Amino acid sequence: MKNLIRTVAFVLLLASCSNDDNLELVAFDNPEVSLNIPSDFPELNSAVYNNLPTQYGIELGEKLFFDNKLSADNTISCSTCHIQKNAFSDHNKKAIGIENRIGLRNVPPIQNMAFMQFYNWDGSKLKLEDQPLVPIITHEEMDSSILEVIGKIEDDEDYIELFYKAFGDEEITPDRIYNSIAQYEYTLISSNSKYDKVKRGEGETFTEEEAQGYAVFKEKCISCHSTELFTDQSFRNIGFPLNSNSEEAGRSRVTGDIKDYMSFRVPSLRNIEYTAPYGSFGQFATLKDLLDYLSNGVLEADNLDPILKDNDNRISLTDEEKNNLISFLKTLSDKEFIGQ
Amino acid sequence: MKNSRRYLLISLIVLGFMSCSDDDVPVANNVTLEFNNTFEDNTIVLGDATSSEATVHTSDAGQVHHFSELKYVISNIRLIKEDGTEIPYNVNDLDKGATVVDQSKEATLQYVLSDIPSDEYVQIKFGLGVKTELNNLDQASFPDFYAVAGANDTQMHWEWGTGYRFTKIEGFYDTDNKELSIHTGSTIEGEEGSYTQGVDAYRDITLDLPTNAIVGSGSPKIKIKADFDYLLSGNSYTITLVSTTDITNNATPSAHTATEMMKFVDNIGGNGDTDITGMFSITAVEN
Ligand code: HEC
Ligand code: HEC
Repeated sequence: MKNLIRTVAFVLLLASCSNDDNLELVAFDNPEVSLNIPSDFPELNSAVYNNLPTQYGIELGEKLFFDNKLSADNTISCSTCHIQKNAFSDHNKKAIGIENRIGLRNVPPIQNMAFMQFYNWDGSKLKLEDQPLVPIITHEEMDSSILEVIGKIEDDEDYIELFYKAFGDEEITPDRIYNSIAQYEYTLISSNSKYDKVKRGEGETFTEEEAQGYAVFKEKCISCHSTELFTDQSFRNIGFPLNSNSEEAGRSRVTGDIKDYMSFRVPSLRNIEYTAPYGSFGQFATLKDLLDYLSNGVLEADNLDPILKDNDNRISLTDEEKNNLISFLKTLSDKEFIGQ
Repeated sequence: MKNSRRYLLISLIVLGFMSCSDDDVPVANNVTLEFNNTFEDNTIVLGDATSSEATVHTSDAGQVHHFSELKYVISNIRLIKEDGTEIPYNVNDLDKGATVVDQSKEATLQYVLSDIPSDEYVQIKFGLGVKTELNNLDQASFPDFYAVAGANDTQMHWEWGTGYRFTKIEGFYDTDNKELSIHTGSTIEGEEGSYTQGVDAYRDITLDLPTNAIVGSGSPKIKIKADFDYLLSGNSYTITLVSTTDITNNATPSAHTATEMMKFVDNIGGNGDTDITGMFSITAVEN
């Protein structure tokens, strides 16, 4: 009944505007927003084509992303853990959610999601639209449920209007929530780092150190951290210190395959300067720590990646190489993306 | 006018009853499924680490163990007539056709199927777990089952997999009572016929009834035994539990790393191929 009154009111509202032709157009128009696809980026995930971002879909998704109402006690939003100035990650070792509960893993950045074929450290989700329900219901994250969320927003005038504008009627459904959040995330594209500008010939050049770091990178890192996203999106065990939580099995908790035990999706290295600590549960405080570890030798495992196994379980690096690598990695920082 | 319609209705109802009254069978009746969770022939008593009442069992590998928590999901229930016709019981509605059997809650050990067409049934099929099409924690479609499964004392939501836990077993093993924690659930992704990744932990169980269940004037009870001896000593695997995360020595972690989950799934739910009963059997049909 309430809905009906609301709909009638809305129609009346629109009707009352209809003297003004322009306004009427605005009210019903929800244009597609084309993604700014950087050159040489990998293929889009095909799910994007089924959920193409629209002006109001994005706006709604952004509002939801920043809304504490998505958590049981209205204290945690997606943006609590996915903070823009950290390239939408945070600075905790493991995620901290509702009532300071500590999760299993480190918060990954949310960037260039449209080009990823697997989500989360273990690739458990293949479509971004399937992802938002996880934090909403997870005990250590938001500890809510989708109907609880809908219950909290369905009487909010701003949401009613946005659902109407985004989807043509004001019905609030779980799928519309997931889709709009994903649409917003699709727009979070980072491609304006110094590295990009050098590559595009926009007047910037690498310093000597950065150039040498890039050379080391191409020699020792690019077999995994490849493509313009700096990940080949494969799953590998590279012998990082193990998470002792019995829930953790890496990729094998998805595939049930022992060969995937403690393998993780190769992370993108874009904006790595802003996403410390590093590793699937924040094992490394700094890039230097991580490179020291790789260079000193990693944990042995049956399924240790051959690139390490065939090289004495290490990627040996001199101090100079480490410094140069870090300089290069910092050229992947995109100030515009983190809003600075 | 209103009154006369009411009279008509009453007389119709009375007529309806009268026509049945000389021993005619109703068109449908209840069937009760009664679950008895055992170690071989002993009904399981739950208990904490030092409990003296808990039923202790020894696996084929020689490990003593007992449980403090024992839960599993039954769904997709079908009764099969003599001519092979399947009568599905709300198989696409988790609110009406799925249940969490919880050893700590007496009431959950009986599940009443209502409105089963009067007939003789020779076989029952059901799922241990939730079939993939319905296994997405769709609270909007099935709020009741979502609530039952997600209750604080039940915890059958598999959050990261956005599906249901199919079994949740907590307990202790070896004489020093190390913790065991075995959870199962599906991670399968994609559409049927073209799955893209993950494992399917749903198991379809088929059990012949030792005597026909006669639904009609009577409402039979089918007694189902779930023998958790199979968990560690099943048809598929003889499992030795270890507490380390070292899974290279062919032993199975006692906690839910999921890597070795399918061993437990095949043991209690069958491998879906040569074994379609797993730990389940029918001990009796009471007509
Ligand atoms: C308590 C902190 C926390 C909150 C709140 C949170 N996340 Fe996350 N997010 C994480 C962690 C940790 C992971 C990695 C999970 C894993 O790998 O299992 C993650 C992963 C992701 C990913 C996948 C990133 C990738 O690289 O594949 C996306 C997308 C995401 N979250 C979006 C969201 C959205 C949308 C919300 C709000 C509905 C949200 N998150 C709320 C901590 C959080
Ligand atoms: C064999 C493939 C492979 C090679 C070679 C490799 N990496 Fe990685 N890298 C990975 C994987 C897989 C992870 C995630 C591992 C984990 O968390 O357990 C990772 C993680 C990282 C991280 C942490 C990212 C984050 O968000 O936490 C950094 C930084 C990194 N690698 C840099 C490098 C550098 C620099 C090199 C070259 C010296 C290199 N990697 C070589 C596969 C590789």
